[in-house]
Amino acid sequence: MDMEFTEEQRQLMNTARSFLEKECPSALVRELETSDLGFSPGLWRKMANLGWLGLPFPDEYGGYDLGVIDLVVLGKELGRVLCPSPYIPTVVLAGGAIAAAGSEEQKKTHLPRIISGEELIAFALQESGGSYSGRGIKTTATETDGGYVLSGTKMFVEFAEAADRLLVVAHTSGDADSTDGLTMFLLDAKSAGVKLTPLSTLARDRQYRVDLTDVKVPGDDILGPVDGAWPLLEKTVHTGVVTLCAYMVGASETIHHMANEFAKERIQFGRPIGSFQAIQHYLAQTITEIIGADTLTIYAAWALDNDLPHRTIVAKAKSFTGDTFKQASSIGAQIHGGLGYNEEVDTTLFLRRGKQYQLSMGDSGHWEDVIAEELLDN
Amino acid sequence: MNFAFTKEEEAFRAEVREFISGAMTDEIPSRWLGGLLDTPARQDFVTKMADKGWLSIGFPEKYGGTESTMPLAQYVLNEELHMAQAPIVGKNLGVVVNTLLHQGSEELKQEFVPRILRNEIQWALAYTEPDAGSDLANMQCRAVLDGDEYVINGQKRFITSAHFADYMWTGVRTDPDAPKHKGISLLIIDMDSPGITITPIWTIIGERTNDVFLDNVRVPKERLVGEENKGWQYITEALTYERFAMTSIAPTVRKFQRFVDFVKETEVDGKRLADDPVVRRKIARLSVLVEIGRMLDFRCVAMAVKPDYVPYIEAAMNKMWGGIVETEMSDQFLDILGPHGYLWKDREANASEDALLDGDVADDYLWAGHQRVAAAGVDISKNIIARRYLNLPSS
Ligand SMILES: Cc1cc2nc3c(=O)[nH]c(=O)nc-3n(C[C@H](O)[C@H](O)[C@H](O)COP(=O)(O)OP(=O)(O)OC[C@H]3O[C@@H](n4cnc5c(N)ncnc54)[C@H](O)[C@@H]3O)c2cc1C
Repeated sequence: MDMEFTEEQRQLMNTARSFLEKECPSALVRELETSDLGFSPGLWRKMANLGWLGLPFPDEYGGYDLGVIDLVVLGKELGRVLCPSPYIPTVVLAGGAIAAAGSEEQKKTHLPRIISGEELIAFALQESGGSYSGRGIKTTATETDGGYVLSGTKMFVEFAEAADRLLVVAHTSGDADSTDGLTMFLLDAKSAGVKLTPLSTLARDRQYRVDLTDVKVPGDDILGPVDGAWPLLEKTVHTGVVTLCAYMVGASETIHHMANEFAKERIQFGRPIGSFQAIQHYLAQTITEIIGADTLTIYAAWALDNDLPHRTIVAKAKSFTGDTFKQASSIGAQIHGGLGYNEEVDTTLFLRRGKQYQLSMGDSGHWEDVIAEELLDN
Repeated sequence: MNFAFTKEEEAFRAEVREFISGAMTDEIPSRWLGGLLDTPARQDFVTKMADKGWLSIGFPEKYGGTESTMPLAQYVLNEELHMAQAPIVGKNLGVVVNTLLHQGSEELKQEFVPRILRNEIQWALAYTEPDAGSDLANMQCRAVLDGDEYVINGQKRFITSAHFADYMWTGVRTDPDAPKHKGISLLIIDMDSPGITITPIWTIIGERTNDVFLDNVRVPKERLVGEENKGWQYITEALTYERFAMTSIAPTVRKFQRFVDFVKETEVDGKRLADDPVVRRKIARLSVLVEIGRMLDFRCVAMAVKPDYVPYIEAAMNKMWGGIVETEMSDQFLDILGPHGYLWKDREANASEDALLDGDVADDYLWAGHQRVAAAGVDISKNIIARRYLNLPSS
């Protein structure tokens, strides 16, 4: 047993930390909340130049061949400053799916362009009335001559408007309550019949409802086997979830640190509020939960990297880390008193994201159901 | 980053399991967390392990130890013992041997360590007093040097194992005028000494702990551990070993797994408990809390094997979480059992036939609260984390 990061991983962490502190201050995070794109193309290019967009990809396509643990190292740093970016949908999910399931041709076309930051791909999996999984997908793809026709509605699609392509998961056979018969399509985001409706979210990030009305997709845009997407996609989805967990751990550490420092400085009743036991106990319990969430996230990444059974462990990581970030952000605001709920104070950035991320990419209830299946149904 | 045990450690685990399944009898498992070495059967079980050299792994050869290439051997051993509800070897090794090796005189090391590693002697840890619980540094039990001997007067409370121990590892006040942390020393008291009276205190689950009265008990001054008036430092260090060596997530994991098997095979109103959506969510939620316990345990272990590092903060986090999970889990389990949950096995009685899971869950519920209180429980651990780790000002 060895709980240390490698020298390279520590280096990635340090570089990312100093870069992001400088390039992604909270003023930028606020500005992007109301910008059209919701992320900074300039910052994205710089992230590409640092090689971050190529972390998980094979070196023959220009990547670095690194593991999920490395994604966790970077994800934590992105989360620490609440960096808004298409990293998870484009690099981890779409890029991961292409690397796992794409043809040689598709890998050669897309991976280098993802790595250089030239191509953005949005990830369209979840639907209304469905959980974050291969279940509950009602979108269908019907074969026609030379291609497929897609119809259905995807929800919570991040950065869809900025995206060049959409990765859409649809049923080519089978029905909505099964993960059989799913197929991935990597379609042009500007295809006729694709309609984007922006969604207003708690985190003020760019998410869309994507209505697909008889969208014609050429056969070349199929990604991976027809009817066989889910077994290939599940691990990619889990990798995305674990990266979000890392992001939430980083964010939790920041809000906890803010509250801890505030508690040392804020004087009431003639002494720092951090000397009151009620405050101390909130902070002590929360930091323990953050450390637990951190360790579990790393454990999940390690399981993914080593091809160990990971379904339950990822489920546990998302459910606990989501709850932890929500709790850390809520306690963090509370410790700031009235200021904590003041729009101009950064606690509010965390408070809004804390609850949203707990519910995104599978809420705790969803992942608890996954755990229950694994524990009780076999 | 690597969460796996080495092949050697896994092979050792398999060997321990095999030993346990061979040596286990009905008399050995204990309701008490970790189990006491209070009966011949239990002592015999541990002596068999000592004969295999398992108590001496990783300790210096000079004192009867055996070099080991497995840093986690002790952890693996304790984990398996916990899973089997067998007596663990935490107190004697984790507290007494570790502290003696770090702080004790050469004579004390030679006199005691080899005998402990052979399981020839049993120990009680005596810190708590009626007016010194969480505020342990307030201990008043007095030791006065008279020639070559200390003379001890006072009372110790909640002294587990005192009624069968050979020695008592005792915190005493040697300087009443110094600030309270600076006047405490650590003495080894022979339980056969004249002037010791032991009376039982029975816990709610029928396990025994004790009040110990000391009336002019004389102890040779060579039995002082380390330096006079530095006892507080040794005790806090040893408390960390205790939090770490004697508490483990393994018993919680065992109870959890047992309950999972139970809900899979039990029907209520013609429906499997495991198919009830509320039960499913509860079980899933608890599995997450238990998993976090395992993660904090791993962290503690990974830190503890570093040379000269005492995992003070990690142990406090572990202890805090253990208390939270045990109370939450046993309460939820009883809720799932419904009225069958209160069918108990009282101290003298066996569990009634209709009790589920031998009435153990009721015991666990009653006992879980103790985890929140004893040896730096939930609140005291939070104080430690707040002050020492988060650097918050003292109240
Ligand atoms: C079964 C059993 C076995 C034991 N075995 C041993 C043993 O072998 N050797 C030994 O030395 N001791 C032993 N103990 C003693 C145990 O360590 C003490 O019970 C523990 O230290 C708490 O002390 P107390 O019971 O006096 O509670 P108190 O210190 O009086 O505490 C009462 C309550 O107040 C809370 N509290 C106290 N101070 C604070 C604070 N500053 N901030 C917040 N909350 C606070 C406590 O958490 C607790 O909830 C044992 C106890 C039990 C129950």
